[in-house]
Amino acid sequence: MNVSTQTWIVVADDPAVSGLVTTARGLGGAVSAVVVGRKSVADSVARAGVDEVLWLGEPGDGAPVEAYAGEVARVLAEAGAAPLAVVGATTPAGRALLGAVAARFQVPVLAGLRGATLEGDAVVVERSVLGGIAERRVQVVGGPSVLAVAAGGVTDEGTAAAVREVPAQPLGAARVTDVRVKEQTGVDLGAARAVVAVGRGLKAQADLDLITDLAAAAGAELACSRPLAEGVDWVAKERYIGISGQHIAPELYVAVGISGQLQHMVGVRDAKVVVAINSDKAAPVFAQCDYGIVGDLYEVVPALAAALRAGS
Amino acid sequence: MKIVVAYKWAPNPQDAEVAPDGSVDWSRAKGAVSEYDPVAFEAARQLADATGGEVVGLTVGAASVDSPLARKAALSRGLDRLVVVADDRLADADGTRLAAVLAAAVRSIGDVDLVLAGDSSVDVAEGQVPMTLAGQLGWLGMAAVSGVTPSADGVVVERDLPGGITTLALTGPAVLAVTTDAVVPRVPGMKDILGAAKKPVEVVPLDALEVPDVVAATTLSGSRPETGNRRGVIIDGADASSAAAELVAALRTARAL
Amino acid sequence: MDFGLTDEQQLLLESLDELLERECPESYIAELDLNHQPPTTFRRAMNDAGFGSLGFPEEYGGTPSDALTLVMLAERVARQGLNNGYGLELLQAMDILEFGSEEQKTEILGLLANGDVPFALGFTEPGAGSDNSAMATTAVHHDGMVTFNGTKTLITNALQSRYLLLMAKDPQVEDPRKSISMYLVPMDAPGVTTNRLDKIVWHISDSCEIFLDDVTLPESSLVGVKGNGFKQLMRNFELERLVIAANCLGLAQCAFDDAATYAAQRVQFGKPIGSFQLIQLKLTDMAIKLENIRNFVYKTAWMVDQELPLKSQGALCKRYSAMAAFEVADEAMQIFGGVGVTVGTRVSRLWRDLRGHRFGGGTDEIMVHIAGRQIVKDHS
Repeated sequence: MNVSTQTWIVVADDPAVSGLVTTARGLGGAVSAVVVGRKSVADSVARAGVDEVLWLGEPGDGAPVEAYAGEVARVLAEAGAAPLAVVGATTPAGRALLGAVAARFQVPVLAGLRGATLEGDAVVVERSVLGGIAERRVQVVGGPSVLAVAAGGVTDEGTAAAVREVPAQPLGAARVTDVRVKEQTGVDLGAARAVVAVGRGLKAQADLDLITDLAAAAGAELACSRPLAEGVDWVAKERYIGISGQHIAPELYVAVGISGQLQHMVGVRDAKVVVAINSDKAAPVFAQCDYGIVGDLYEVVPALAAALRAGS
Repeated sequence: MKIVVAYKWAPNPQDAEVAPDGSVDWSRAKGAVSEYDPVAFEAARQLADATGGEVVGLTVGAASVDSPLARKAALSRGLDRLVVVADDRLADADGTRLAAVLAAAVRSIGDVDLVLAGDSSVDVAEGQVPMTLAGQLGWLGMAAVSGVTPSADGVVVERDLPGGITTLALTGPAVLAVTTDAVVPRVPGMKDILGAAKKPVEVVPLDALEVPDVVAATTLSGSRPETGNRRGVIIDGADASSAAAELVAALRTARAL
Repeated sequence: MDFGLTDEQQLLLESLDELLERECPESYIAELDLNHQPPTTFRRAMNDAGFGSLGFPEEYGGTPSDALTLVMLAERVARQGLNNGYGLELLQAMDILEFGSEEQKTEILGLLANGDVPFALGFTEPGAGSDNSAMATTAVHHDGMVTFNGTKTLITNALQSRYLLLMAKDPQVEDPRKSISMYLVPMDAPGVTTNRLDKIVWHISDSCEIFLDDVTLPESSLVGVKGNGFKQLMRNFELERLVIAANCLGLAQCAFDDAATYAAQRVQFGKPIGSFQLIQLKLTDMAIKLENIRNFVYKTAWMVDQELPLKSQGALCKRYSAMAAFEVADEAMQIFGGVGVTVGTRVSRLWRDLRGHRFGGGTDEIMVHIAGRQIVKDHS
């Protein structure tokens, strides 16, 4: 059997590809990139640790990146041996490229990636499913493994792979007419170094002041569990952590008055240090934290804020 | 203009129980129109009303997606009619297979100008199916669509992208996945709910559609996510001040501050 | 017997859940309660979604419905913690739809659609509550006009209403059952003055004394047939008692849920107080009362839908529901301890509002009067 060891990354006009390259490199073998978008992006990807870049040419006439998705799939299909794996980003445009690739080869797109390794001839993928409440080890037999991963950042490995231009014909269905720079609104919990979250242990909305004060003392963003964002409207929905909310990985996560249901905890499973404050010593959160204080949050939280301020 | 809204009838994982082997017990979870799909229904209705078009709901899945309740729940949200492919052979179908069936159904509906979908489903939550559907149809697929409005020769699409708010003139067929705040979906009113049972429903047998073979992923094993693999140092908070001091000292040692 | 919901009921309740989450969060209710304001924006949203014309005839844009669905919706709104948030205004409007002139109907439906309370019910007087024969407010017809004199008191929602649905009697007619007529009196008519009564319950509904001094209006202000006022008013009283009972059920469920959640979290002596049997006894008895109220309310609604004679059922249901619901709220307050009586906890508001239902819409005692004589009559 002629098994391909060729892994591809597919890039949608975004030089941030370190996540894609790391996953692809982890499978061994050669890594090629198909890049849609500006030449500058193709040049940047060429320096990110890949062996070869196929660039679909400068986008003309306002065609959106997604208009090239079918062409990306065609290039992969016509590249010779069927790919071992195709790795793309979970960004909106990344998903469009992966969707076209999955449809071309009629294989699943595997998202929620926690790891992908080559075992014998097969790519074995560890992934979170259903918003993170369960995990699966899977493999795809009979087609490439199409993997959706976090894009990561821009990297420069020092050497540049060759960039080869491949002619491509985008769909003509849409044309970009305007791009306006966004005002920065809302909160970016994902970027916060520390996050203090509060749950149903809080008795009244007015008591949120205690928690925001602790967050300020810890240099942290405020977050909450689901009941506080959806059951009552004490905290904005953008700050809710859990399966259908934010998934974050801060250095420090402090869970105040949160019982520790799986549906919440999967949202912070990649946090470096988890602290729990809860009055119920049997609360499941204490089995999932690095440090826990069993006590009344109305006493512990102000004391903790004071201790943080005293030490800084 | 003929607009298809591809939606999902799905349970909410908030109500699921997960066993240590990763198997999921859905018995406490009820099916519902997936959380973000009402935005797509509303966007489609507004666009159709502005252009004199038709809104066709489309869902595919296991036989359970075609209960009377499921039909009425969708039809009460501004649809003109409904097309359903419900077959237990689709019970564990992955996104690419569902997208292949959706694509076949869109072709069988015929003369479709636009497919709208929610940003992501409440259960799988990966936002992939609409984009794979576009791939299956060979159409333009765009996610992060924050606005869809009619124009003289087509549709104006607004997208909320990292690079900025992007406006596009859309003239060809496309699959658009709308963001959760693209429009505020109306709450189905009394008349919508009571009138839902009177709207036409077309049940399309899976075998009547031309669906390509799709490779499924093979599951080797499953597990419950490990969230408990931590130090587990528990401090008695009876004396709040000393407990706080102890915690701060520990966090400093662990370089978490 | 089928205790399941119909698809339509399930979808209506889900739809109502969405609406409540969006338009009637606890912060909104707490603010209204604090500032003694009516829930106008919520009512408007309810009307926009078609809940404001539930049960009205189709020619008035209404949607046919049954009593069971109506009480389920009223219960659900109350479970959000909002007192008298839904249902009663529909019943009042039905009086007008049934007996009013075309002009009166158009006016009232327009106000309802806007989220306004169209009218307050002007029934109770300083000397006459449930004893309508003691009513002293007079309506004297003369030359195509009618002139009112008298005092009404404890009139709910008078300040937020455009009209007063006034019950007044013709002093020329002796028989109290034939002397009372129903009128739609604009609250801004010359001669109408009000005095707000501060009270410790039902802050989102104002209560007033209303003084009528030679208020003179065209005879077209008459609603229905002259002399039939009392009969017309009674028409929807059975349903009103049922909606009140459903409202009590929802408020009590809300208090119970709050208390049970609190008991599961509040730690004393090293464990949640919910692990103590004295607290569990309270919660268990509260749960039994809720189950009883729910069954009572739903079955009574079912009887209405089957067009079975209610006889004493409505009064029995209202008496039991109001009393048991208050007991549930009172125990909920006890579980919260000192926290429960602080301003800002929902349970304190629920406790206050439920207390009001032991006399609003007829006292516990008048329910005995109504039911008791019916029971004896049935066995005579």
